[in-house]
Amino acid sequence: MSALQVSHVSKAFPGVKALDDVSMTLRGGSVHALLGENGAGKSTLIKIMTGIHKADSGSITMEGKPVRFGNPRQAAAGGLGVVHQERNLVTRFSVSENIMLDRLGKHSLSSVDYPAIAAEAARWLKLLDLDVDPSTPVSRLSVAQMQLVEIGKALSLQSRVLLLDEPTASLTPSEAQVLFRILRRLRDDGVAIGFVSHKLEEVFDICDTVTVLRDGRNACDSAGLKSLNRDDVVQMMIGRAERISKRAARSKPATAPYLELQDYSSTAGHKDISLAVRPGEILGLYGLVGAGRSELAKAVLGLSGQTGGEIRVAGRHVKINSVAEALALGIGYVSEDRKAEGLILLHSVLANAGITVWKRLANALGFLRDATIASHVGPVLKKLEVKTPSLDQTIGNLSGGNQQKVSVAKWIAAGVKLLIIDEPSVGIDIKTKAYLHDLIHELAESGTAVLLITSDLTEMVDVADRVAVMDGYRIQGLVENDRNYERVSTAIMGLIHGRKAA
Amino acid sequence: MTDATSNILDEATPEHRRGSGLMRLALSNEFGLALLIALAFGIFAMTLPGFTSPFSLFTIGRQIGIDTMIGLAMMAVIVTGGLDLSVGAIGVCAAMVFGYLAQIAGVPLPLAIPLAIAFGSVLGFINGYVVVRSGVHSFIITLASMSIFFGIMIFLTQAQSFNALPLAVPAMGKLRVGGPISILLIITLVVCAALSIFYRYTTLGRQMLAAGANARAAELSGIRTGRIIIACHMLTGGLAALAGLMLTARTGAAVPSMAGHLGQDWLLPAFLAPVLGGTLLSGGRVSVIGTLLGAAFVTIMTSGLLLMRVGEFWILACLGLMLLLAVLADRLRHQVLRARGMI
Repeated sequence: MSALQVSHVSKAFPGVKALDDVSMTLRGGSVHALLGENGAGKSTLIKIMTGIHKADSGSITMEGKPVRFGNPRQAAAGGLGVVHQERNLVTRFSVSENIMLDRLGKHSLSSVDYPAIAAEAARWLKLLDLDVDPSTPVSRLSVAQMQLVEIGKALSLQSRVLLLDEPTASLTPSEAQVLFRILRRLRDDGVAIGFVSHKLEEVFDICDTVTVLRDGRNACDSAGLKSLNRDDVVQMMIGRAERISKRAARSKPATAPYLELQDYSSTAGHKDISLAVRPGEILGLYGLVGAGRSELAKAVLGLSGQTGGEIRVAGRHVKINSVAEALALGIGYVSEDRKAEGLILLHSVLANAGITVWKRLANALGFLRDATIASHVGPVLKKLEVKTPSLDQTIGNLSGGNQQKVSVAKWIAAGVKLLIIDEPSVGIDIKTKAYLHDLIHELAESGTAVLLITSDLTEMVDVADRVAVMDGYRIQGLVENDRNYERVSTAIMGLIHGRKAA
Repeated sequence: MTDATSNILDEATPEHRRGSGLMRLALSNEFGLALLIALAFGIFAMTLPGFTSPFSLFTIGRQIGIDTMIGLAMMAVIVTGGLDLSVGAIGVCAAMVFGYLAQIAGVPLPLAIPLAIAFGSVLGFINGYVVVRSGVHSFIITLASMSIFFGIMIFLTQAQSFNALPLAVPAMGKLRVGGPISILLIITLVVCAALSIFYRYTTLGRQMLAAGANARAAELSGIRTGRIIIACHMLTGGLAALAGLMLTARTGAAVPSMAGHLGQDWLLPAFLAPVLGGTLLSGGRVSVIGTLLGAAFVTIMTSGLLLMRVGEFWILACLGLMLLLAVLADRLRHQVLRARGMI
């Protein structure tokens, strides 16, 4: 009997059919992948399963019994645990308090039996191979450990079905492997696991069956993954074969560096960083989470203090104290955290795309009109194929891929000479990802210097010209990228782990 | 631009279509407020003799002018997601500076007025500077500065009024333009128009909205967020000073107690007008027209209830209830925006 069966579920929002006759079956003791591009209906389906949305038609059964949850709490009580993409932990609370958060006492006024909840939490931590003291505050854990705590929290509610929404988005490959080992064990214990991911390598690594959604319909319903290959799945997701980009290694431009760091140290903790990015070059910056890559980008932008060394822009020695000064020097930064740092979700596409050029476009009195901004950023948005009903559309309503395009577009509109791009394809569908890679190349071809930060090795090998490897807030070495994935990834991992072994 | 973007509707997410049409109209505060104003005005006009007399209309209009200005002062800082409890204190302090300049120092009015407004901006700058540098929420900072500003003012003035101002000042308070319309209301309407243009068509105005909606993203987009937030507080100070001057014109004198103890009498209208009008308490979105309508609604309700001889304490309780409802509406708005992924 299936642990969770979704049968012929449809859901319409005003004007749009989000799900159309969608089915999916999760079985105990098996890992099931739920795939689809952004906007295909994955989130809507999860929201219907957990009771956030009501289905217009169709049914959901668990262990053969029809269920209809009114909210995620009921779903959890009914044995359906969900680990969302966003962290839902109280970071100042301890691990055990978080795991037992809604069962701290019999009722609101009863005293908390700390030894009891610690013991209960320890049981789940042990199951998850998480070697931390249950009384540790969650804020001291790594991202990967927090992820495991969330899984423990879901499991501790006796979940027989566990849905994971992009669980590896913020994990490094080795951390993901640890997670997978645990998922496999849970699977062997009979838990039904639903796994949402954009990374196909992972899906083939861990999943047994797959449901693919495309435009709110089943492109396939609970098929075995054994009989499928990567191209088949991509074909189902995008409706055509993925363009496998086999870029040739590009010739190194012989120009002088646009940005040069020499023995640079920062208050963020960077030590003796030396690197150079030339116009027309894509320099990758690879490292594990916590290696200090985004922090380096932000330090260079003036968000941290400089404690030593030198920054040179176009050969000139400079001090950068704010992003505004960095922008004046032609440096732009596409944040990895689009929603919190990259965009102003409340405001329009036009306001977000034009924010970097307001000052430049305003007349002497500081006045500027929408039409002026639109004529400046419109062509860029059009070139980047940003899909929006109008420039006045609130950007929070666009899909992740289109939001990401706007957060790149605003720097292109500003005409930056160096663009720092931090994790460009987090939470973005394959089509947009490939598009962004092309775009980054195009930018480099037109003479922009690009500093690319990514935790996705495939992406790094596909896009960067050279890769600077960072660990512990230092540069560990530089790897020339000849697009040979095996060689480059081995060299990078050697630089990271060689030091640790020593 | 329309042809550049009109061909790309196909990736419409379910959510973003909900944003148009009926829902947007129903959610628009301006629309709801205009209806409420028409309703309240209609009922009072029919049931209360004298409510629509020229003098009554004149005083209501004048009060709308002053309350709107107070609301705009608060609105300018709510933009940042903060607030300014010292608006009343700043307003009175600026009025007293004006009184000193005009009555004692003999500074001509065309100079004394801008100097008093500039003084209000300076007090706002102090607020903004401390808020930005300390990183402490403006609630605490302005609670402190409210007492400090007011205390120093009482010390310097010995709590004495300036009641021998040049005659042009009380004349301004009584001046009518085009029938029963107070000049003070006209001034407010001009300021409303200027602010609407400011937030829509100037770099600084846009930067204020951007920094208010998401300070981190604005900072990382090259906006000097700290300076912008200080500028918001300065704008608040200037508008509060202007409101203080308008109150001085109505009273005919600069009186230390004209905004109550510590200027606290202003707080209710200061929050009511913008919040009723749809300015988002979490920052990043303003409605100048909404603030005007909010103040108009509050003034008409208050005037009507006073004419009905409802006790003043009941009116205050009624205004408090109205603020509570407005804040609940703000939370609802916030939730709607969050559900649509806009915050």
